[in-house]
Amino acid sequence: MTTQAQENSADIAPPNPPVAAAVEVRGLDAHYGQNQVLFDLSLSIRPSEIMVIMGGSGSGKSTFLRHLIGLERPTSGTIELLGKDITRLGPVELLDQCRGIGVAFQGGALFSSLSVLENIKLPLREHTRLDEKTMDIMARMKLEVVNLSGFGDLMPSELSGGMLKRAAVARAIATDPKLLFFDEPSAGLDPVVSAALDDLILRLRDAMDMTIVVVTHEIHSAFKIADRITILDSGRILESGTPDQLRNSGNKRVESLLNRRPDDTPLDPDEYLRRLAGTA
Amino acid sequence: MLNFFEQTGRRSLRALDETGYAACLLGESLFWTLFGRRWRQPVRLSSVVAQMMQVGMEALPIATLLSAAIGFMLAVQSLYSLGLFGAESFAHVGIALALTREFSPLIIGILMAGRSGSALAARLSAMTISQEVDALRTIGVNPVRFLVAPATLAMLIMLPALVMWSNLVGLGAAGLFVSASLETSFASFVAGITDVLTPTDLLHGLGKSALFAVLIAIIASVNGSRVTGGSEGVGRVTTRAVVHAISAIIVCDMIFGFLATL
Repeated sequence: MTTQAQENSADIAPPNPPVAAAVEVRGLDAHYGQNQVLFDLSLSIRPSEIMVIMGGSGSGKSTFLRHLIGLERPTSGTIELLGKDITRLGPVELLDQCRGIGVAFQGGALFSSLSVLENIKLPLREHTRLDEKTMDIMARMKLEVVNLSGFGDLMPSELSGGMLKRAAVARAIATDPKLLFFDEPSAGLDPVVSAALDDLILRLRDAMDMTIVVVTHEIHSAFKIADRITILDSGRILESGTPDQLRNSGNKRVESLLNRRPDDTPLDPDEYLRRLAGTA
Repeated sequence: MLNFFEQTGRRSLRALDETGYAACLLGESLFWTLFGRRWRQPVRLSSVVAQMMQVGMEALPIATLLSAAIGFMLAVQSLYSLGLFGAESFAHVGIALALTREFSPLIIGILMAGRSGSALAARLSAMTISQEVDALRTIGVNPVRFLVAPATLAMLIMLPALVMWSNLVGLGAAGLFVSASLETSFASFVAGITDVLTPTDLLHGLGKSALFAVLIAIIASVNGSRVTGGSEGVGRVTTRAVVHAISAIIVCDMIFGFLATL
């Protein structure tokens, strides 16, 4: 039995076939020692979508990211990346699965003993059988994508903060992953460099058809790039929706976060410890 | 009093935990070395060679200097102590056996612990803190295979090689001093030590050095990968790695020496 509204909507737009989510998280619980830091998180991210995960300090967003990229094992729940449940994979299978994703870390995490170009070539060297010359060309192409052509021979210590992050993006996209994760891409950057990085994220999604997950606490940046935003608070999903939906949210904590109003709620010691563990 | 027992208990548990972790790390290194290629995670020869250069070739000048000094010192002490009984002509026996079975492996082991062990612990801890190790995992590279296994293999090859070199240099230096002091030829000293030394003596020293190599690499890796507390932590684990490695070398040397001469 269908309602009148459903019939009307069917007249206007034919139903789309269901699209498999690029990231599907179901009932994720995580602990650090005895303290539970993530509580029953469920989230679905569509292909070619930019999902921004926001939250205050100690909200669990970094912990959530570490679980999404397979660096931590959850206590319970499932995490499907590109259709594979990474919580069920053994250590070797998990490494194989990591080949399909890219991660740009907050501080870049470039290997300090290798030049920028060698950093970008490392994933290619490890996972492909390309000859040195082809790898070289591919790595230089990635540097061009992030506007760093000509800087390949420098060492990471010779790069500025913004260049370091862009070089990290170049390494993350070296193998053309379908799924890209960013940890605090704007942290520590001036507004101009930060805006350039936001543009780069949008360009990557549009040009390379990537699904992108960004963890950040930069509100301006989040609203610029996000298709959808998920707000975490004390290890729980507080709200999830489009930027417009969140702007009009009646939730006081969401409003506090978006309007940068300090939280007046007194923090009990147990909660404080949980948050502390979440940032550990 | 309760606090004392509590502290002892906590430390014992931590030591047990670290020993277990070290065993896992060693097992994993061995696994990737033997079967890495099958799982598309090969331990690359280029990484091993690069580590061998750092661990071995770059340590050659200081290893040569220390070995010559030890050989010279052993010759001086042997001539003095045997001279009390008028038995200086037997000095080569003590020198050859002490140097090959004990002093060369011990001094090179301690040198490697201070030089390469500290470098490995500092490198791993700095990489852990700057999320480079996390980055390796997300690239799909096992950090043990990429960082620990090449270092362990390089140490396992280069430490015994350096010990052999140390034997040559030490015996050479001792021979020069003994032949000059006793006004005999260097050739007669060489003939004396070739009569005394057996392959077992050399293998005794080389066996020890292989054991020391594994101890240094694994202790440095355990400390380096378990760093906490930012840049201060890097200094702390590096010091800890050197102290633990030297202590382990000396204790193992004693046990090895005792068991091998039973």
